[in-house]
Parts: sequence; structure tokens; C-alpha cells
Amino acid sequence: MILEALIGFTFLAALLVLLAPNAWAGRLAFALSTVPFIGSLYLWSRFDAVGNALTGGTIAFESRYEWVEVGGRTVSWFVGLDGISLPLVVLTTFLVPLAILSAWTPVDSRQSQFYGLMLFMEANLLGVFTALDFFLWFVFWEAVLVPMYFLIGIWGGPRRKYAAIKFFVYTNAASLLMFIGFMSLTFALGDSIGSLALPEITQAIADGGLETWFGISPGRMAMVAFLAMFAGFAVKVPIVPVHTWLPDAHVEAPTPVSVLLAGVLLKMGTYALLRFNFTMLPEQASALAVPIAAIAVISVVYGAMLALAQKDLKRIVAYSSVSSMGYVLLGLVVFTEYGVGGATFQMVAHGLISGLMFMAVGVVYNATHTRMVGDMAGMADRMPVTVGILVAGAFGYMGLPLMAGFAGEFFIFVGAFGAPSLPYAPVFTALAMFGIVIVAGYLLSAMQKTLFGPFRLETDYEIGPAPFHDVAPLAVLLAAIIVLGVAPDLFFEMIRDAAMPVVEGVSVDV
Amino acid sequence: MVDAFAYVPAVVLLPFFSFLVALGAGKYLPKGGAFGGIAATAGSFLLSLWIATAVAGGRAYNETLYTWAAGDQFELTFGALIDPLSALMLVIVTLVALLVHVFSLGYMNDEGETGLPRYYAGLGLFTASMLGFVVADNLLMAFMFFELVGLCSYLLIGFHFREPGPPSAAKKAFLVTRFGDYFFLVGVVAVFATFGTAAFAGEGSFPALAEAALAGSGDVWTPGGLELQTWLTVVGLLVLGGVVGKSAQFPLHTWLPDAMEGPTPVSALIHAATMVAAGVYLVARMYGFYALTPTTLAVIAFIGGFTALFAATMGVVKDELKQVLAYSTISQYGYMMLALGAGGYVAAVFHLTTHAFFKALLFLGAGSVIIAMHHNEDMWDMGGLKSRMPVTYYTFLAGSLALAGIFPFAGFWSKDEILYEALVHGLNEPLLLGGYVMGLLAVPVTAFYTFRMVFLTFHGEPRTDLAADPEPVRWNVKGPLTVLGSLAVVTGFINMVPVQKVLGLEGIDYLHRWLDNEWGGIEGLSSHHYADLGPYSSGYIAGGEVPTVLVGAAVSLGLALAGLGLAWRLYNVTSPTEHTAKLGGIKDVLYNNYYLDELQVWIAYRTEDIAGGADTFDQGIIDGVVNGVSSVSLLGGSRVRRIQTGLVTQYAAMLTLGLIALLVLLGVNGGWFL
Repeated sequence: MILEALIGFTFLAALLVLLAPNAWAGRLAFALSTVPFIGSLYLWSRFDAVGNALTGGTIAFESRYEWVEVGGRTVSWFVGLDGISLPLVVLTTFLVPLAILSAWTPVDSRQSQFYGLMLFMEANLLGVFTALDFFLWFVFWEAVLVPMYFLIGIWGGPRRKYAAIKFFVYTNAASLLMFIGFMSLTFALGDSIGSLALPEITQAIADGGLETWFGISPGRMAMVAFLAMFAGFAVKVPIVPVHTWLPDAHVEAPTPVSVLLAGVLLKMGTYALLRFNFTMLPEQASALAVPIAAIAVISVVYGAMLALAQKDLKRIVAYSSVSSMGYVLLGLVVFTEYGVGGATFQMVAHGLISGLMFMAVGVVYNATHTRMVGDMAGMADRMPVTVGILVAGAFGYMGLPLMAGFAGEFFIFVGAFGAPSLPYAPVFTALAMFGIVIVAGYLLSAMQKTLFGPFRLETDYEIGPAPFHDVAPLAVLLAAIIVLGVAPDLFFEMIRDAAMPVVEGVSVDV
Repeated sequence: MVDAFAYVPAVVLLPFFSFLVALGAGKYLPKGGAFGGIAATAGSFLLSLWIATAVAGGRAYNETLYTWAAGDQFELTFGALIDPLSALMLVIVTLVALLVHVFSLGYMNDEGETGLPRYYAGLGLFTASMLGFVVADNLLMAFMFFELVGLCSYLLIGFHFREPGPPSAAKKAFLVTRFGDYFFLVGVVAVFATFGTAAFAGEGSFPALAEAALAGSGDVWTPGGLELQTWLTVVGLLVLGGVVGKSAQFPLHTWLPDAMEGPTPVSALIHAATMVAAGVYLVARMYGFYALTPTTLAVIAFIGGFTALFAATMGVVKDELKQVLAYSTISQYGYMMLALGAGGYVAAVFHLTTHAFFKALLFLGAGSVIIAMHHNEDMWDMGGLKSRMPVTYYTFLAGSLALAGIFPFAGFWSKDEILYEALVHGLNEPLLLGGYVMGLLAVPVTAFYTFRMVFLTFHGEPRTDLAADPEPVRWNVKGPLTVLGSLAVVTGFINMVPVQKVLGLEGIDYLHRWLDNEWGGIEGLSSHHYADLGPYSSGYIAGGEVPTVLVGAAVSLGLALAGLGLAWRLYNVTSPTEHTAKLGGIKDVLYNNYYLDELQVWIAYRTEDIAGGADTFDQGIIDGVVNGVSSVSLLGGSRVRRIQTGLVTQYAAMLTLGLIALLVLLGVNGGWFL
């Protein structure tokens, strides 16, 4: 019941904030949003899952109620956690209160709606990461888009309509593709499944339950389903070349929305890739390892090159997400303990670091009202604390050791380099690793131009240090990044435990 | 009895605490947190001495202290490895760091700098990172602290962030070394993939596994069926990338002269004991691995010899005091690389030690001059400071004599041993011999630029009013200078190999005996073992070992004296002139550092061009397709536009429709409607 309570409370909180007056909606939302975080810490402390939830492991906080029966398939309310989903739940509940705090300064209209939608989104995100029934999962998955659409479309920048619609249509079309792919898989499973529960489907596929369906052989069906789902999730991640909605959405989205978009929403894509493509259809993933690794490398290098070309601070951070998600894809496709585990760890690490970067850029923007690199210089002189944390965050993004990003990236690299299942693994890994040079290039130049040197910014007002409630979430995030960087096993231990069954799903012919 | 080794973590953590204190409370503390830093480094220094005593007492330490990630595939850990090498390095680093802290009181506090808590926090973190690197017991931990050292150099080089120069130099330092570290990181990952461990010492360490595998016992992974020796060479060269970056070897040396933008005490720390030293130390630390691959050794030797000569030539024409010292650093680390490549493990460590002291001395001496000259660094504005600041002059002179390799100062002994090793091993190895010749040619050049610097700064008549009436410096400047000045004179005596060989006095080569585990150490990490592994055999000229020693020493000393003499003739006059016109066309090349900076800037711009092209492609083609598809989508262009007027209710409707479609699909499949 605890997961129901968590999700339910968040929905209620959303409703409550929606009804609250604008004047104190922000404070109320922050106060309420700390409850799910405390709840997720409680989950963490009582966490007792073993193995992977989809491959027959012991599921923590499992709760299952039959809901409806659809054509011989039970649809259930089925939620639970394992070592892959718990870190993402903690990440979500941790980021939301901080994102809400970061909204206090920039959001100055229709606050109760804004904060209500933020909490509504959180509730659905928690649903995505806990649901173990496909139907339930898909409802949450789609429902995340709605608040996001409004948050960008109402509180966004000048081109918010374009960005919101592009985001919505693009990711929805992708969802449709993914949905078709998955459903055809379930049809082909025929009588070997009695429900849409993900563990059952995973088991059925592993046991060879796929049958010829409408003249499509099981092997071909699995491959088609894999490709359809891969394409669908790739948009969400996003992976090159289906990434172009992301920079537009980020540039137009207000800071707190960007924080959640980069911090959590992108991880929906990688989480789903891991759960569906790489856990359910490991053979297909393995067969396509070379092209997928190539896409991963292209995402890393190409995303980083795009970031290098940007002049808008937020666009720089946005494109670097494309690059970072390329690492995650590489980690997934190599099917090793450190590869898959590192990819999952990197989801959390990137969530924290990109959240910090967007937040810090937002705090600077609150003061400058411009994000263009050429418009400002020497901001360190006026906002020393904010800039100090921004610099620390940027080094985190560059993969500075003892910060979370290094741990994630290093795990992926060390897991990928000698991976037996991926041909040319050392070459792919070494190429992807070159991203760590490019990321240093663009972040260091952007910082040098905007933060250092003699102060220059044309405003008719004085720029001073940011208010406490803007800086505090930055400091909290930075602390979390360092703690996870020094002690990655806080999460990595349980992640490994849940990742191992996925890895073992692939037999390697050396 | 309390175990000294229990305090190894404290050596690292004390400066780290001073970082935290300075960062958190520095502005409330006297002197901006300087005393915390002094206390911490003094504590670390004393503990390091104690640890060195324990090693001298026949003991060593190799323990895993913290598990960072406990995977089945690899276990990633932090630990401490204390053997004669790391114990010696601990003493050097903590001593130099302590003196730099004290000196900073004079250079930063007395000069009224602002941002002192940030400064002392940076120094503390810098020292802590370097110490963590020194005690690292595996390659991953070494890499991690190596990177932190890079961060600290960024923070301290860019200390004066309100000016345009320092942030740019800081960026360059981090970026250029990051380029080298990329290869290092690939190397670390490759070591894990190959051996399953990155430990430096012990039975299961990667050098030991590599040795066993080469000997045919034991099996290690190689990619794509590559031959083992080839693969080990590749891995060695990959790790070397990081070394070339941090130790400022050609072609990644360009960051170092720019790094002079940092405060002078920071330069002393970077050049003598921390960042630049880290690269060479790393090769020494895993020398058991490098000794296995002759190709790597030859490459190291050749890069080293080339860099030694190459950097020295640029030092000849520089006008600013710190610039001359910067190029001398690059050149001197070239010598250490030459030594390592030539199988002269002890010689390299010896030069690392002597150089740490005399280069710290020269930088702090330069700092003292800079205080006196009110932060004017141009040597042509100086002159005649000899009588006006005698303590600085005589200590600086001692450091210069050591740098130039003049008998009996510290640098003579260590440089002579490097050249000797390169010569005797190089007689049968053409690449190595090339390194030796370049190293030898660099000797007179080094002596020349060093004494050009000394004469221009201290001799003759003051050329400006500033030089005629320099600002006096206090004890906090003179104290560190005196300590280092004495060390620059005496450090050479720890390893008088030529004297031993010529006079037949046994046992005065203390450093050799120290690094050969004669007092204590770890099996497999001794100079003796490395010599056994190495590919080199010795050849002699002039009919034997003793004549070779004598001829080698005489030639290098003679060349050094020649360089010194030339500098004396040209610059030790009342009013010296540039004389650079005599160099003709070479002068411009040297002034512009062989145009390598331009080359790197060119590469950076071309990369930006490619990025710009990628951006145009992304916006035009990839996103163009997306927008194109959406405008010719099912509903037709005009309707899409109507939707885009922002009637969000329509979207809610679309979403609902989607969900209904989903249910219908489910239903059809399940026979709901039948």
C-alpha cells in the first residue's frame, strides 16, 4: 500500500495546490512535495528487493489488484520496485521539491496552476517508475505528457506554443509506434500470457512463448517489435536523429520545467529502453548491438558538437543531455554488469547534474534576463556563490572524479571496453569517450566568456547575489552529486543486483 | 607503538580539511585561512617524515582502505601504497606545499590580495589531491586524483578571474591536459579490461600480471586477438597520454607557459611538487609495467629528450622572469622522461627530487623579485637587484646553479646521472641515443638561459626606478627561500654515483639503495627489479665504466660552463642589450614558440567550424525533415496551423482519443465486442 499512498498523496497534493490561492501556492507546493521525498527515503530504508522485477526477482513493496479483464488478459493495478526503479523514484521525489523552489522567482503568474501541474506530473512519473503492468504503465506514461505540455505552453518563452506542440506531437507519435510494437508482441504471445503484467510477458518471451501471428514468424515479430519500441523510446531519450524536439522544448520551458524535463523525463526513455527492449528482447538487442552502439557513439559526439556550436547557455546544456544519454545507450547495449548498471547509475547522476546546470543557468538568467553567451561577462563578480556552484556543476558534467557523473561514465566505459557481446567494443568505447574532451571544451569556453573576465552586462538595474531560496536548491543538488560520486554504492549496489539478471539474459558466443 | 601507516589517510585529509575550513570560514579567520593551511601542511609534512622513517625501518604498506564500487566484474577501490618511492614523494610534496603556504603570507596577504579564502582553499585542495595521487595504490584512484589536481590548477591559475588573461589560461590548462587525460582514461579502462585489476603492487597487480603473461604463464584479455606485446605497448602509450599532458611534454606543453597567469606561489607548487610532477611520478609508479614494453620506453625517452631541447631553445628569448622558468620546467621534465625511457628509474626520481627543490626555490625567488618590482616581471626593467636583495639573490643563484647543472649543486648530480644512463643504455639503441644527444645539446642552452636570467635580473645597473628602489620582503619570503636554497645545494649529495664509481666508495648512493628497497619496500617495486625487466644492456665508451662516467660528466659540465660563459659575456655587463637579432629568422620562431599555440588555436577554430556545420545540418536537415513531416501530415498544413493556434483542449481531446483507441485495440484483440 505504501506505493499507492505515495502516488495517491502526490495526486492529492496536486489537487490541493491547484485550489490554493496563487499567493502561497509555491510555499504550499514545496511543503507538500517534501512528503513524497521523505516517503521515498522510507522506501529506500525498507528496500528488500532481490534481482530484477521483470525476470522473476523479489519485488519490493509489491501490490497487485486485478482491475479489468480484457480478452482473456488481466489488466491489473500492479506496482512494485526493484534496484533499477527505486533510484529513479528517489531521484524524482528529490528533484521535484528543488524544482519547485527554483520556480519561486521566475514563475509570477497562475502559480497555483503551475505548481499543481508540477505535482501532477510528479505523481505520473512515480507511476511510470513503479508500474509493472503494461496498461497501467502506459496510462502514466501518456499522462506525463499532459502537464508537460501545459507547463511549456503556458509558462514558456516566446516560442512556447511551437515548442509545446512539437514536444507533444513528436513524443506522442513515438508512443504510438512503441505501443503498436509492444501490443503486437503481446498478440504474438497468444495464450502463453494471461495478463499484461510485465514480469509475466518477460518470462513468456524468455520461455519461447512467441508464436507465428498473421504469418509473421516469432523471430521476425520480436525484431519488428524491438525496432518499433526502440524508435518510440529513442524519441523520448532522445537519441540522434530524433532529438530535435529537445532543444526547442528546453529553450522555451521555464527553469523548473527544464529541470524535470532533463532530470527525470528523459530517463523515462532510457528506463523504458532498459525494461522493454533490453530486458524483454535481449537477443534482438544483442543482434543489433553494432548499429545501436554506433548510434550511441554518434549521439555522444554529434550531441557534443552541437553543444559546442550553441550560443545560448540553456541550449548548450540541452544538447549536452543528448551527448550524456548516448553514454547510457552504450552502457545498455554492451550487456555487462558495469555497462547496464553504469547506464542506470548514469540516469540518476545525469538527472542530478543536468538538473543542477539548468537550475544554475536559470538563477543567472533571473538576474540577467539573457542567456546569450555574448551578452554578458564576468558574472562571477556579482553572483559569486551561484557562479561557484555553477562551475562545480559544470565540472561534474565534465566527469570530474568524486562527483556522480564520473562514476556513471566510468562504470559505462569500464563495462563497455572489454564487452564480449559487442564486436569492436574497444573502438566504440574509445570513440564515445572522446565526448569527455568536447564537453570540457564547450563548458569551459562558455564559462570563460560569461562568468569570468571583467564584468559586462547592459542593464538598468544592479545585479546582486541571488536570493537564498534560489541558491539553496543548487547547494543541495551539488551536495547530492558529491555524495553519490564519493559513495556510488549507495545506489550502485542495488542497481547491480537488478542489472545482473538482464546481463545474464544474453548468452555470449566468444 | 602507534603505527605510522595508520596516519597515511591523515596526510591526505589534513590539507583537505584546511580546504574546507578556508572555504567555509576563511573570511572570518585571520589571514584568510592561511594559518589553517600552514598547520595542515606542516602536520602532513611531519607525518610524512614519520612515514618515511617507518619505511627506513624496513616496512611498507599496501592496503585497500575503501571500496568505491564492489562489482563482481571489477572491484573499484581506494587504497594506500607506501613504499620508498611514495614515501619520498610525500616528503617532497608536503615540504614544498608547506613552504608555498608560508611564502603566500608574503606574496598574497602582505600584497593586499582579495579573495584569500578562495586562494587558501585552492592550495589546500591542490595539496590534498596531489597527496591522494601520490599514495594511490591503483591506477583508477591515481586517475581520479590526477583529475582533481587538474581541477585545482584550473581554480588557481584562474584565481584572478576578473582579468581577461587568467581565465583563458586556466581553460587552456584544463583543456590541453584533459586531451591527454582522455588517452589516460582509455588506458585505465583498457587496464581493467585486460587484467581485471588496476592495482600497482602485489601478486595480483597489473604489472605483475603483465609480466607473467609475457613470460607465458597466465592469460590476459587482448582485443581482437591482438598480440600481447603490441597490446601492452598500446596500453602503455595510452596512459602516457595523460603523462604528456600533465608533465607538459611536447606536443601538449603549451598550457604551461600560459599558466604563469596564476599567482607565483601557485606556479611554484604546480611546477615543483604537484601537477607537472604528477605525470613523471605516474610513470615511475607503474614502472614495472613500462619496463616490459621497449617501444614505449623508447618513445618516452625520445619525447623526453626532444622536449628537453625544444623547450630550452624557447627559454632563450623570453623577456619575463616567470616565462623563462616555465620553459625550464618543461625542459627539465623532459630530462626526467628521458631518464625513465632510458631505464634510469632512480635517475628520474633523483631529478624529480632535486628539481622539486630548486624549481620551487627559483619560482619563490622570482616571486620575491616580483614583490620587489611591484608585479613587473619584465627582466629588462630589472638589473642590479643583487645588492638590494641579497637573500633572494644568493638563494636564487644557488637554484640557478642547480638548474644549469654546475658542480656540485643538486641539479648537476641528477642531470649527470640521467645523461649517463641514457648514454650507456643508448649505445645500442638508436632512438635512445637520439634522446641522449638532444638532452646533451640542451645542457649549454639551459645554462645560457638560466644565467641570462640571473644576470639580467640581478647584475648590472638598475634599468628602472623600480629596480633601483625595490620593495623589501619579509621573513615569510626569506624563510622559505633559505630552506630551499640550502636544499638546492645539498640534495645532490644523497646520490653521488659518479663519486662512488670513480673513487670506489661503496654505499654513498643513498637514493639508489633507498629505491632498491635496501631498507624496506614492496616486492616487485624496486629499481633492481625494474632493471631486470628492462630491455637495456649497458655499453661503455673510452674503455670502461669509470672512463665513461668521467667523460660523460666532463662533457656535460663543460657544455654547461660554456653556456654560462656565453651568458656571462653577453649579459653580465653594466647595460646589457638583447642580442637576439643575431638569431636571425629563428628569433621569430622562438618568440612565437614554434607557432604551436597558433596551431592549437587553429585546431580549436576548425573544431568550432565543424560544430557550426553540424548545427546547420541539424537545424536545416534533421529538424527540417521533422517540421516538413508535421506540415504535410494527415490533417494537412492549414489545419495543423489552426491546431497550432494553441487550442489545448483539442490536444486533450487527441489524448483521450488515443486512450480510447488503445482500449478498442485491446478489446478487439480480446474479443470484448464479440
